[in-house]
This record gives sequence, C-alpha cells and structure tokens, in this order.
Amino acid sequence: MCGVLVAAILAAWNCPVDPARRLLAAEDAKVTDPVKLAQGLDIFKNHVRPALVQHCGKCHLGDDVEGEFDLGTRDALIRGGTSKASILPGNAKDSLLYKMIAHEKKPVMPAKADKLPDDLIAKIGAWIDLGAPYDEPLVKSDGVPAWTRKVIAAESRQHWAYQRLKVGAPPTVADKGWSKNGIDQFIWQKQQAAGLSPNVAADKRKLIRRAYFDLTGLPPTPQEVTEFLNDPSPQALEKVIDRLLASQHYGEKWARHWLDLARFAESHGYEHDYDRPTAYHYRDFVIQALNQDLPYNTFVKWQLAGDELAPDNNLALMATGYLAAGVHSTQITANEVEKHRYDEMDDILATTGTAMLGLTFGCARCHDHKYDAIPQADYYRLLSTFATTVRTEVDLDMDPAWYKQALAEFEKAHAPVAEELAKFEREQLPGKLAKWEVEGAAQAQSAQWLILDQIEGKSVGGATFTKQADGSFLATDKKPDNDTYTFVAQTDLTGVTSLRLEALTDPSMVKGGPGRADNSNFALTEVTVTAAPKNNPTQVETLKLSNARATFEQKGLPVAAAIDGNLGSGWAVDPEFGKNQIAAFDFEKPIGGQEGIVLTITMEFKNNVRHAIGRPRLSVGTSAKPLNLTEPSIAASVVTVLKTPVAQRKPEQIAALTNWYKTTDPDWQALNKKVAEHLAKKPQPKLAKALISSEGLPAIRLHTQGGDFFPVTYYMRRGDTNLKDGEVQPSYLQALMRVDSPTTRWPATPPAGARTSYRRTAFANWMTDVDEGAGALLARVIVNRLWQQHFGRGLVATTSDFGIRGGEPTHPELLDWLAGELIRNGWKLKPIHRLMMLSNTYQQSSQLEADKLAKDADNLLVWRRPKKRLEAEVLRDAILQVGGILDETMYGPGTLDTATRRRSIYFTVKRSKLIPMLQVFDCPDGLSGIGERQATTIAPQALLLLNNPQVRAASKGLAKHVAPTAETPLEAAITQAYEIAMSRPPVADELKSEIEFITQQTASHQQAGHAEPRQLALADFCQILLCLNEFVYVD
Amino acid sequence: MLNHIPRYFAEPSSQGGSRRDFLQRSGQGLGMLALSSLLQQTQGAQAATPHIINPLAPHAPHFPVKAKSVIWLFMNGGPSHVDTWDYKPELEKRDGKELEGFDKNTGFFTGNVGPLMKSPFKFERHGQSGAWVSEIFPHLSKQVDKMAFLYSCWTDSNNHSPALFKINTGMSRMGFPCVGSWVTYGLGSESQNLPAFVVMYDTLGRGIPKGHSQNWGAGFLPSVFQGTALKPQGAPIDDLERSTDLTDGQQRAQLDLIRQLNQRQLASGPIEPDLAARIESFELAYRMQMAAPEAIDVAKESAETQKLYGLDNPKATHFAKQCLIARRMVERGVRFVQIYSGGMDNELSWDGHSNIKANHSGFAAETDQPIAGLLADLERRGLLDSTLVIWGGEFGRLPIVQKGGTGRDHNPHAFTMWMAGGGVKAGTLYGATDEIGHKAAVDRVSVNDLHATILHLMGLHHEKLTYRYNGRDFRLTDVAGQVVNQIIA
Repeated sequence: MCGVLVAAILAAWNCPVDPARRLLAAEDAKVTDPVKLAQGLDIFKNHVRPALVQHCGKCHLGDDVEGEFDLGTRDALIRGGTSKASILPGNAKDSLLYKMIAHEKKPVMPAKADKLPDDLIAKIGAWIDLGAPYDEPLVKSDGVPAWTRKVIAAESRQHWAYQRLKVGAPPTVADKGWSKNGIDQFIWQKQQAAGLSPNVAADKRKLIRRAYFDLTGLPPTPQEVTEFLNDPSPQALEKVIDRLLASQHYGEKWARHWLDLARFAESHGYEHDYDRPTAYHYRDFVIQALNQDLPYNTFVKWQLAGDELAPDNNLALMATGYLAAGVHSTQITANEVEKHRYDEMDDILATTGTAMLGLTFGCARCHDHKYDAIPQADYYRLLSTFATTVRTEVDLDMDPAWYKQALAEFEKAHAPVAEELAKFEREQLPGKLAKWEVEGAAQAQSAQWLILDQIEGKSVGGATFTKQADGSFLATDKKPDNDTYTFVAQTDLTGVTSLRLEALTDPSMVKGGPGRADNSNFALTEVTVTAAPKNNPTQVETLKLSNARATFEQKGLPVAAAIDGNLGSGWAVDPEFGKNQIAAFDFEKPIGGQEGIVLTITMEFKNNVRHAIGRPRLSVGTSAKPLNLTEPSIAASVVTVLKTPVAQRKPEQIAALTNWYKTTDPDWQALNKKVAEHLAKKPQPKLAKALISSEGLPAIRLHTQGGDFFPVTYYMRRGDTNLKDGEVQPSYLQALMRVDSPTTRWPATPPAGARTSYRRTAFANWMTDVDEGAGALLARVIVNRLWQQHFGRGLVATTSDFGIRGGEPTHPELLDWLAGELIRNGWKLKPIHRLMMLSNTYQQSSQLEADKLAKDADNLLVWRRPKKRLEAEVLRDAILQVGGILDETMYGPGTLDTATRRRSIYFTVKRSKLIPMLQVFDCPDGLSGIGERQATTIAPQALLLLNNPQVRAASKGLAKHVAPTAETPLEAAITQAYEIAMSRPPVADELKSEIEFITQQTASHQQAGHAEPRQLALADFCQILLCLNEFVYVD
Repeated sequence: MLNHIPRYFAEPSSQGGSRRDFLQRSGQGLGMLALSSLLQQTQGAQAATPHIINPLAPHAPHFPVKAKSVIWLFMNGGPSHVDTWDYKPELEKRDGKELEGFDKNTGFFTGNVGPLMKSPFKFERHGQSGAWVSEIFPHLSKQVDKMAFLYSCWTDSNNHSPALFKINTGMSRMGFPCVGSWVTYGLGSESQNLPAFVVMYDTLGRGIPKGHSQNWGAGFLPSVFQGTALKPQGAPIDDLERSTDLTDGQQRAQLDLIRQLNQRQLASGPIEPDLAARIESFELAYRMQMAAPEAIDVAKESAETQKLYGLDNPKATHFAKQCLIARRMVERGVRFVQIYSGGMDNELSWDGHSNIKANHSGFAAETDQPIAGLLADLERRGLLDSTLVIWGGEFGRLPIVQKGGTGRDHNPHAFTMWMAGGGVKAGTLYGATDEIGHKAAVDRVSVNDLHATILHLMGLHHEKLTYRYNGRDFRLTDVAGQVVNQIIA
C-alpha cells in the first residue's frame, strides 16, 4: 500500500521506467545538446563514475540499495529513492543529491564518512548542470534482482507460530476434581501458579442462556429452560450442547463470524456498487458447511480451490465465492487496469493471510514485512496463485438428489408408453404401409410441398435439436437469450420456386407453442437462404426471398419483417398460440439441378429475448404459381422411393418411406402423441445461478477499459506496476515450509484438458499440510478464534495477527493441544465447541472479584467468563424471537427490506446500503476482514431500541403473547415476559415497580384515547425488557 | 483498543464507595460517558486514544490549536481549477492549439482529446491578497482574504471513485477510514447529543457521490466513527422519531424504569463500566431526539441570516440550508461536517465533460452565496477561528477541450483547494501549476500533504494518529505526508 503512494509520486513526476531499458547505455545518455553531452560524459567517465562507485556504491549500487536509491543507471538516479527525485538534470543547486553531498541538506552524504573534497563536489555539480549523462550503467545486471531470491534467515524461522505443534498431554493437577477436561487442567495449573482460583460455576439459568446464545444466537424458550433445570443428571448441559450443535441455527450463528473474516458482501462496491444477485450461495455454503461439520481443512481448501478439487460438488463450487467476495471497481480506466488487478489479488491474498493464518501478507506488497518473516518476494509468489482466477457464474443443480430420483421415476413411467408405440411400429406398421402403397400412395405423391428431409439442423445458442420422424426439429433444454438456427439440406429437385417454414406445436412448449417464449410466442427476426451446387459447395449464392405470407401475423410484427434485413424487426404470432403457424416465401427464380444442390437456411431470433421457434420444419415447392400454405406435403425423398420398384429399394429408402408413412397414420399419430405428452412431463433440474471463482470461464465484466486478468505475475518493486522485476513462479511462505521440504510436495498437475491452472489446489495443499506446510498454524488460528468467541478473549489476543507484533499466547501448550485435538478429530469443529463449553473454565460465572482483579485485571488466566454484548445480528434475532415474530426460513436470496422478519444473516449485504440496525451495533462493512468485532456503547443504539418500528412490533408481539386477553393478571403476564426474555422470573421489587409502571402507563394511554390502553402499556413494558443490560449482555 | 478496558474496571472499584459516588453523579447527568472521558484526560499520555466504551467522548488533541470543528465543502465531480481560481492567461494565447506530448490516457475519455481551451469566464483579482477569482463567484470573491489557496494539489487517479476515496481516505482503494472518521477518532466529539460527524449530500434528487457512503465510511475503525448522512426526506437520522403511540411523558416513564432496573442489576459487586455507560446512553438518546431536529431547524434563524446564506435565492436554497445547518452543527459541538455539492452522474455534479460554461456557472450559482454567507456568518459569530472550512473536489480538469463539446475531462495532475478559518493563515497563495494549468509545478501538494495539514490544524500529528488493524499501525497519511506549514497562521 505504502509503495503505491511512492509510486504515485514518481508517476506524477513523469519518470517512466522500463526495467528492460536500464541496460541500454545509449538510452541512458538522454542529453540532447551534443556539446553538453560530450562535456558531461567526459566529467562522468573521469571523475563522477569513480567517485560514485567508490563513495556511494556500497549502499546505492547493486540489488539491495538503501532508501531504494539506486545509482546504477541514469533513470534510477533521476527517479531517486524514498526521498523523491534525486537530481534535476541541468540544475545542480536544487538537486537533492547535490545538496546532500554539499552538506546543505540532511541526511548528509556519504553517510558516516567524511565530506567529499570540494573540487569533486564541484565536478559532480557541473556534471548535473550538463544534464548528468551516463555512458553506460555503473553495474551490469542479469535483470533478476537479488530481492526476488531472498532467503529468510534461520533465526526468523524461530517465531513460535511457525513451529510444528507441540505434542503434550494436559498437565496432571491437584484440583480436587475441579477439572472436567484437558482445558481445565491447563487453566488450573496457570491460575495456581499465579495464586488465583477459578470463579464458581454460573447458575443453571445463566448457563443455558449462555450456551444458547453462543451456539445458536437465540435465547432458550421457557420450556427449554425448565427442562434443563429439572434435569439433575451430570450430563444435563452436555445434552443441551449436543442438541444445539445439531440445530440448523448453529450454522446461522457461526457462519456470521466466518463471513466477517471473508469480508463477505453481495455487491461490487466502488462507483456504482452493482449488485451480485447470485453471491448469496457463498453465505449458504458457509452455513451448510458448518451445520454438516465439514472438516475445517476441507472448508478452507474448497474456498480456495473447490472448483478444481470437487468440480461436481455444489458446495465446493459455492465455496469459491470466498475468492469472489472482495470489491471490484465498476469503472476501470485504461491506465488503471493493471493496478486494479493487482489490488484485487492483493485483497484475496491479504484476506486469506489474516483470516486463515493470522499473518499479514498484505504488508509485504511494497517491501519486506517490517516485523514478520515475510519477504516481499514471498508475497509475489503467493500472489501469483490467483493470477488467472476470475469471478464467473455457473448454473448449479440445487437439488441433485431430487432430480436423480425424479428422473428415475419418470423413466420408469415412460418405458411402457414408449413400448406401446414401439410395439405398434413392430407389429402393425409394416402391414399398414404395404396396404397404403396400394391404396393411398398415388394420391400422396401429388402433394405440392416437399419436406426437406435430407437435412441437418443446429442451434448456435446451444438448444438441443432432435430430428423428428416428420422431418421437423424439436428444440429443447437451453433457451439462450438470442439464438440462430442453421439448417443444411440436400435436394435433387429442379425448378424449386418457394420455401415453406412451419412452426409446429409440441407438448414440450407452454400451451404447445409454437414458440419457446414463456407466453408460447416466437419472434423470427430474419430468414436467409443460400444455395450451392452439391459438387461445388464453395460456389455459394444468396437467394433473394419475396412474397412473404403466413397463416397469422401479430400486429406490428408481420412475416415480411423476417426478410427485411433488419435485426430489430421480425415475425410473431401473439395471440394465436397452440396451433401450427406457417410461413412461405418465393425465390426470385427457380433453383435446383440434376447434380443436386445444398441449401443453407438460417433463422435468427434476435429482436426479442428467448423467442425461438420450438419445432421448425422446412419444405420446398416446385409449382410455377404461389402455393397455398396449407397444401398437403410429403417428404421429398419419399417421392423418389415410391417411384422405385419395391424389390429395388435400398434399406435406407425403406426406412425413409416407413418413417414418413407413419407420421400420416392416425393410429401412430395417437400413440406418438401420448409419448410426446408424457415426455413433456420429464423433470428438469432445479438450476440456480451462482457466483463462483474459477479459471477459463468468462469473467463477470463491468466497465473495464482492458482485460480481466494478466496471465503473468511480476515481481514489482514498491508494489508499483511500473517497476517490474521479472516473472513470478508460484511458491509459498518460506517460514511455513521446512528448509528441507521438497518443493514438489504441494503442486498438483492439472489433468489433461483442464481449464484451470491448479495453482490454487497447490496453495490449498500447502495451506492444510500440518507437517511441512501451514497446517499447524491454520489449526492454531481457528481454535483460537473459537476460544475468543466462547471466552471473550483469544489465547492469542490478536486473533488475526500471529506475527511478531501480535500477542504471545497466554497458554501456548493449551493452544497447541487444542489445535492437535482439532486435527485428531478429523478437523471437525463441533467437537472443539463441545470441549470448550463442557469445560469448567467456560462454565465459570462472570463475577468480578476485587482480589482477583488486582492480580489479573485483564483476565489473562481466565478466572471468569466475562459478560458479552450480543452482536448486532444476535440482538436483532433475539428481539424478533422474543416478540414471537421471527421467520425461520433458511437459505436463498436475501433482502434489503429492514422490515423482514428472517434472521439477520439473510440480509443482503450491499456495500452502499448496509443495514442501519446492524451497523449501529458494530456490524462490519464487508470491505476488510474482521476477526473480532468492537462492542461500543453509543447513544444511537439506545435510540434504536427506543424508537425502531421493528423493536416496537416485537414488544407488542410479546405483550400480546403474555396477555392474550384483558383478563390476564398483570403479575402472570410480567412473569411470563421475564421467562421469555430473560430466562428467569422477576424478583419481587422488580414486579412491584413494573406493575406500578404498567398501571400508570395504562391510565396515561387511556387518557390519550388509545383503544387498548393496557395492552399498549404492556408493550411499553416489554420494550423495556429489550432495552435492559440483562437482555443485551449475556452473562 | 480492547485491552484498554480492564484499566477502567479497577479504577472506580478500588476506592471504597466510588460506585455510590458514580451513581449519584450519573443521576446528575454527568454519567459514565463523561466520567470516562475525564479519566482519559487526566491520564494525559493517553490523549487521542479513544475509549472503547464511549469512543466519542472528547479527547485532548496532541497539541493545542484553535480549530475545534471542520466544515468540508466538497465540490463533487472535480471542479475545473482553470475556470475557478487558477487563472491561466497563457490558455487564452494558446486557445485552439494542440497540446504536444499530451498523454491521451490522462483523462477518462481517451479518444476525445481536443486542443487547449481558454476559460469561458472572466477573471479578476480580489482582496488584499489579490487572488484571481472567476466571475462565477461574485460573492466568494469578497471573501478571498479569509482563504489560503493551495494551487498545486495533485492526486493519482483519473477516475471519480478512486479519486474520491483518495481525497476522503488517503487511499484510492475502497475500505479505508475517511478524514472525518480519523478526526473524530482522534478528538471524539464535543456534543454527545448530536452525531460527531455529519454528512449532507444533494437534496435535489441528483444522487450521492460515486462510491456512495464509503466516502464517509470508517473503514477498519469502529463504525461509530463513520459519518452520519442526514437523509433528505423524512427523519434526518434513523430512529430519531418516537413511535406515534407514545407521548414524550410515556417514553420518559419508560426511560425512568429502564434506569431503575439497570441500576438494580449493577447494585452488587464492582462496576462494569460498559454496563454503566449503557445506562447513560439512554439519557443521551433521549436528548438527541430533541437536539437533532433543533440543530437542523433553520427556521430558528433570523430573516437576515437566512438571506445572508441565500435561502431566498431559488438556485441556492438547498445548499444554503445545508451551509446554515453546518454552522448550527459546529456551534453545538459537532466535530466534522461534510457537504457535497452535486450528485452522482456526469453533469449532475461539477463533472463538466460536455460544457464547462453551463456546468460550472450552474453549480457556482448554487454554492457561491451560501459559502460566502457561511464564511461571513462564522466570522461575525466568532466561530471562524475554531472552524476549519475546506473547499475542493476530488481532482481538477484538463486545460484542453474534450472533443465533441466545450467541456473538460478529468485531470489528476492539478487542482486547487482552499481553506479558511481554524488556524489557517488567511490570504496565503500557495503553490502553482504550470503555465497552462496542466500539472502542479511549484510546491506540489499531495493528498497526503493535504491530510497532514488538516490533521495538524486540528491539533493532531499525522504520524502519531494511528490505529492497529491486522497487525499494522495504520495512518491517514500511510507512509507519507508533509504539513504545508506555509498556510498555517
């Protein structure tokens, strides 16, 4: 980030730098006056160069220069270092370099050495005044600076977070049975050493409330509280926790924590903040994954490379929404394309670093990390993982199990229907055909429309074309917005004068069609026909069509518009649906010949959206005068077959004849109709578009004046796209690779034909590799996050920074033991929640005790379990539940409607339209990953609880619930309200004040003329409960 | 930061009876919020480190200064410096000539590069300082001696939203805290009854700036530091209006019982300050319900004052109202006010791509009298010294014409800003662009420099005002920024 600024300063000074150019000596001497150039070069060769090399070279030549100031070339010299431009050619006295060596400006140079001789300073000044020409660079370079090969020092590998997990059993402690599990043993040991003892256990009412809010983000119902109170068994809490971990609400609560880290939002941000309406699938992935207890290593891997690791698994694809969640400018100018792309990759890498590993990779974009062992070169190698990854959308089958079963059921039901037709064709058709040849064939041959049955057709837009027995094509499946049909037909006919296009009905379309639009319509934008001799297919002639006529023309969309050359107009048939529609056109002159011709008929559907014809059939006529649309027709090839004596017919001719004949047979038609009608009921997969990240698929493009990505990643000094230092090959953080790890350990070879690079798979392999890669740290970071949520403070307090400047673990052995437990439990998180919540440490009261405060004010040794302010979402959800107005519908598209009664996680996160009610209680903004929310106390929160309509509605809901009739005694109503909102009955003096309040408030409302004054007063009281600290803080 | 909390746990409880003292004090309305800020101020070393419980409690600055508040008049869309304050006679001479060596990627419309174009407006010198002012500012021209001009500002993006983010947050990327957030983070607020940081945008339905509310977002700072945008319709602040089925007395009765029940809960054991602070927050909320509508009620001002701002000038009424509200806000202790002139799309803001004359005379007519009125009013009320007024946009405009019209495209290389009041050395003319106004040339002022200067005027050292986020101490000025001492009185 910082380098970007420096870069900007340089860019503004108009000093373009092309690394390749640095090696060209001629380019270096950019002084236009030949006399000055000669004089300047003379001084340079004889005085300046030796002086620069001797006095300055140690720090300002070579790969690793001080203050980023490199004297190696003239360009670099002029550009200067972190102190901006070093010299102004032609102006020595205002040049920084001159001022420093002349000791006019600090820091004086050469540093920690004597001032240069005055005459040498004068020479350098003269040289600058002459334009500071170079004859050649001071040092030759192979173009690959050393910083890109930097190897971290052995001692920087020693930081605790980079180490393998320490294997150690919990200590044995003499705690008189206090410890319930390993956690308690570790905690007890440290407390004892500090002269502390744990708080007593919280009472059961507080405990169950704590467990409910912690796991599901909702309060227990009074029944659930009673049940727990009445369960004397030592396993009572365990039963509650197991039930809560199995609840769907668990995922809804804990997904929010991960979404904070993933800076999840459903809009692009920047100028226009366009929506990402299919981004919610990522949120649903997180909820489902947590509810299924997807192993955390898989959870991580899928988010990084689910499209490569499990391309057929919906959840794995949805998981890659993680990579897509960051902002993306909706308007990128030409000279910002590359910078924006690097910003976007930086956002992915920086978020991944902090969320998954607690490492601040982002700080190494412009220079080596100031504190941690993250060389800038490591940053670029990690960054290149994402070089070719883009946002894209795919269709997901949201219910594959249903589809599979429905399809199987359908096929089972379809078999007998199909068999009936097949049986008819086997047993009866041959006889009927023979009879027809004798009795009806002659008449059939006189038909004037000859169906083009030697024909192939296809939909450019990707609809499935199935050729039917009657010569038509049935279009099914995909309905592209715009489509083009192309048909290639062969015919030996001569004197062809006209073309007929039938749009036939079919049960697969709405109301039978004949169009594929939702209302059964079609819009034929343009028909074009070309012809070429069969023996000379390149001699293509475009045929002019005229005399367009049709069975019906929609107002304003006449059939003539289909041959007018205008892609904005066309032929349509609204409202004449459910019947065949026919159009015909005449050729300018008769076509065809003895050698045969190839006709190419193209139909375009572009003047409306998804308005293609569903079952087209093409015929030609040879009559001299225009034919009627509804004249009888016959397949063209059949005419030839019928003229051939039966004995001489070839098998394919017999097949063609049979195929044609059957379509004219009423019995076959009836059976075929049954088959078609049944086929129309074939189930379709329940598809939904989902925003994912992948490679080799079309990127979601906004207004970008350039490409979507750059296939090659470069090492860049100061993170500046103008300061490239060679191509990057992916690798990983040195500090989290063992010195002797083979570099081939993680990379995955893409399978043949893969469209993705498998770089992300390799990255994910390294990330989850416990022994040699980042896996141990990955495990430590996530168990610490769970600990922080359950105990209010992480064992490492800086949950997203495990670097040198982050906090040291208060209980390093416990942290490693928990991380080990996670891995031993197959990376499942639910057992870790269980372990933590079943510890006595978790069950301590929040009680503040002065003597303990004096010893450990920060509660580092966990002698109490502090109260926790409900998070924004939890508070809102709890209010809705207590008010009896919570809608528990899960998953699917969210909403921005603040009046929604669904859980808050289903609010759409639109970056420019955050939900005020959540924001005021410290919900993050989806721009940067947040591991730990603030819990501020400000007046607008109180304002919201006092005045927000939804809070008021919930208060009224609760009042109505506890006092359904005017006869309900106040005491009972108040008590029940307390049970619901606080999980306890009121104490006597509370009850007394509240009865008093409600009585007075009732009188006041009555005076104000309200219809149900007592009910309103009760609502006023219920609202008070929602405002109390006791409600907003879980003890 | 979170680890500040425990210190305050111990503090009140370590002295016997302090809890009772506290409850009495809070009964008198001083309360925990004020108490925590007192504690903070007595602990000197912690100045400019906000308290997590009430991060908006006022904090002492790093060093004493006159300025208490900021009013930032944001000319959204990028006003043309060469048509407003930065007079370039050379442009008249070279009108219609090509600008040789011009990089066509400088502006947004890379295919529409035209020749140099003189300003359609007349310029004259005004005041003691002799500052040049375009004829579109007849009222402001009489106020130039209050202003310090920065003629040599430059930024690094040629596109609205990155440039808006840059000038508001110091970063052209999205998601960083804006100046208003940093200032309120550093200083808290003098008024607990009003939002600390108020934003007003176009009320004529022309939209909000590109990049939306992120322009006044708090980034990784706690969200309490984000700007509160007053809504042009309905209640200006969320949940400000009491439910219609409650009277003031009935709500007061609710608040009394809330206080009583909350205090009952606190009555055992050492105080938990955040719970105590929460009790107080209800009182503040109650007061805010009255204070906020009162603060924006310009009808309370005299006819003469209303006229001074131009409320009776139909072209300027909307902006005049906002300027007057801004004065009422700072008078009541609001720390930071930002007003946007113009809406979102091209031409609906100062983004004069097609016709600079029509565009700029229009927006000048909307803002000239209100801003001049604001400066005069602040001065006569003795508020100018304590209020830093800033005028400017996100970048400047090119000296060449945008082909196809008579407008100008974006220019990140140069723009003019001015500041007044709040410790600014009035009448300063600082820096210069090149002879055609294409690039800042003399005493160049980067956005980091601007920010360093603004913080300095507010008594904050830009290198010391930091916030630790994900392991790094972030600053508004990142790793750069030099205070422009020449404009400081």
